[in-house]
Amino acid sequence: MQRKRLTSENLKRWVDALIASERRVIAPVHEAGLTVFRPIQSSDEIAPNYTKSDLPFKEWLFPPTEVILCYRIEDGEPVLEDPEVDSTETVALFLRPCDAAAISILDKVFGGDYEDEFYLTRRRRLTIVGLSCTEPQPECFCTSVGLSPTSEQGSDVLLTRIGNDFLVEALTEKGEQLLNESADLFVDAGDLTKEQVTAEAVAKMRRPEPLPNFSDTYAEIFEHPVWEEVARKCLGCGVCAYSCPTCHCYDIVDEATLFEGVRCRNWDCCAFALFTLHASGHNPRPTQAHRYRQRVLHKFAYFLQTYGQNMCVGCGRCIIKCPVGMDIYEIVQRVGEQLAKV
Amino acid sequence: MAKEVKERNWEPKIVAFVCNWCTYVGADAAGTSRMQYAPNVRIIRFPCTGRIDPLFIIRAFQQGVDGVIVSGCHPGDCHYVSGNLLARRRWIVFRKFMDFIGLDLRRLHFAWVSATEGAKWAKLVNEIVEEVRSAGPAPAWAFPTNGATVLETSLPEVGLPPSPPVEMTAQIREIAKRLLGTGEVGVVVGYEMATGAREGEATPTFVNKPEDADRLVFNERCVHNLAVYLTNPLVKKFGKVGIVAKGCDIRSIVGLIQENQIKREDVSIIGVVCNGVVVNGKLAEKCVNCQVKVPHLYDHLVGDPSWAQSPSGENPLDAQIADLESLSPEERWNFWMPQFARCIRCYACRAVCPLCYCQPCIAEKHRPQWIPTSPHPHGNLAWNIIRAWHLAGRCIGCGECARACPVNIRLDLLNRKLALEVERAFGYRPGFDPSAPTPLSTYRPDDKEDFIR
Repeated sequence: MQRKRLTSENLKRWVDALIASERRVIAPVHEAGLTVFRPIQSSDEIAPNYTKSDLPFKEWLFPPTEVILCYRIEDGEPVLEDPEVDSTETVALFLRPCDAAAISILDKVFGGDYEDEFYLTRRRRLTIVGLSCTEPQPECFCTSVGLSPTSEQGSDVLLTRIGNDFLVEALTEKGEQLLNESADLFVDAGDLTKEQVTAEAVAKMRRPEPLPNFSDTYAEIFEHPVWEEVARKCLGCGVCAYSCPTCHCYDIVDEATLFEGVRCRNWDCCAFALFTLHASGHNPRPTQAHRYRQRVLHKFAYFLQTYGQNMCVGCGRCIIKCPVGMDIYEIVQRVGEQLAKV
Repeated sequence: MAKEVKERNWEPKIVAFVCNWCTYVGADAAGTSRMQYAPNVRIIRFPCTGRIDPLFIIRAFQQGVDGVIVSGCHPGDCHYVSGNLLARRRWIVFRKFMDFIGLDLRRLHFAWVSATEGAKWAKLVNEIVEEVRSAGPAPAWAFPTNGATVLETSLPEVGLPPSPPVEMTAQIREIAKRLLGTGEVGVVVGYEMATGAREGEATPTFVNKPEDADRLVFNERCVHNLAVYLTNPLVKKFGKVGIVAKGCDIRSIVGLIQENQIKREDVSIIGVVCNGVVVNGKLAEKCVNCQVKVPHLYDHLVGDPSWAQSPSGENPLDAQIADLESLSPEERWNFWMPQFARCIRCYACRAVCPLCYCQPCIAEKHRPQWIPTSPHPHGNLAWNIIRAWHLAGRCIGCGECARACPVNIRLDLLNRKLALEVERAFGYRPGFDPSAPTPLSTYRPDDKEDFIR
């Protein structure tokens, strides 16, 4: 695979060339005091000094709400229609390695036993240009979940800033193709490597301890009082799940008037009491302790069992966004300590 | 072509919510008397205007009507004695609120029409149809893609509050140890300093053993309104709760007592003298002209009341509200729609609010689904309007909803606007008198308004 060098000026040219190529280019921009991923018309719109977006990229693959079925009554007969799925050829720019890795996790879910055509239609037309992290934030803990500030998982192309230039690595066929289209902007990488940048970024990580894996042991702590201790503070909102790049649970609702309607798929969150409430009134997860346990064990036990990987990329958004400062890194460590005592 | 014909032939579509005993009979009288009037109104009959939830009005607009009429018995004539008087209080506030959101008030009308006033009904409908016609087809409840209104007034630079004396922390620990040691309370809800990623911030904590009380702190980082935990089942199971509360938080506790969610004797309030807390790196807006720096209801007082600064200036939100009110309804609409467009329905606003205690919340009721759960225009508009509306006369302005919102929706402005209208109309400020009725659950026969026909 290609390894190239790109100057900062040529990076701008490359972005503008991508926009000119009639692709939709989605990049981090500042909007209403937030950093979010939005389609851009020019490289100038990209958020300067961008560290990490407030909301992850997932909304472009798995939107907060999406119509999955339309129906209407016509001349007394029901008519079903499939909605059109957005299939615009898209380039996602400057996803941090944690966010790119998160997409590879979503791929496992939506492209697994059941192939979700809505997600996959968009995903097939998406090329991801990752951007290595050089300034990990206080909440970051990617190295604790098996990733690194420069990890390649999920990216088609990975950019790493080295001095004033970027090391550009094509990691997939899609990535190769993207670079080939603008070959004149890149020069050979020569002996440029990201080893030093990686080492420096890793050294800045403030939370280096690996997080425990509960996939074989969770039964031993399933009923442990630690869940209630850690979850007492949790208010049961959905900020953590909705700002999480890997959370993918959804609810399905019908919205209809007398003669027509749609079936929508909306984000949902295991912290809500309604998430598991049965029609009978029984709730198998009756308290926030049960719900928070689900959140932790889904990410650090069940997903590992099924897919061999954590369902957490260590971006830390849930930590900075939580209104009461729930810290999943500390909580998972604490549960691990309790497990060691069992 | 078809669209042009449709536009040329446009006729206002109006829904009238009327009570069974007066206006419905009045409208019937107009019909049986063969009075002719505009055919644009569809009538929906209710037992009483007191049953007409403002949510119905929102739903009507969402379903595409151009105007709404709400009408019932004259004051004094209510079949249920006071349903219309309670309704009147709601209308006074709700109408101002919808104006603030950017609804053209030519589309929203209120009237008293008795069973004998068939002629008044016919005249009223004719007038209202013309008013709605002059307003034109109602705008779609959709998010504008461009042209968001930007507020000219920014929030003032207010610096940082003074740090509370460290003795206050020691006092809190002392009180907590005593309360837990004697078994007077089962748990103390207070603040501790966060570790890790949010080092330097305070975070809620729960102390149930005297020896753990040394975790407790109080300083200007103690932003959270801990009253939200008083209705939390995992906290309530400890029995009586001791709670560290600033003046603003105590106002929420008063609300919970007022609304029978907790009993005064089930909570031991450790009231702290407070000169303000830090949100987003500066003094929180609510603290600028705070009237309750010295707690007004407590069992234990922490800090020296003479340390409290006297309140200064106005609530900084009021200037922004005035700014919005100087704009046209359309401009206001274009301010709020992009705000609501960002909502992802995480319900953090609801979760942090001590007074959002309903189980289940109206947003979770789905037979029928009053508020669509989808984060699309209809769902987000209905949710954000109704969330604020349900706090009218109850919200004490702690600002937690706006602080918790991950997408920076100006929920604080919505809540403040409602608080201003309630105070203007009924002279009521929530959170002071635990025995007072909440303003929208009561009425006075002489409540003043100037818009009901």
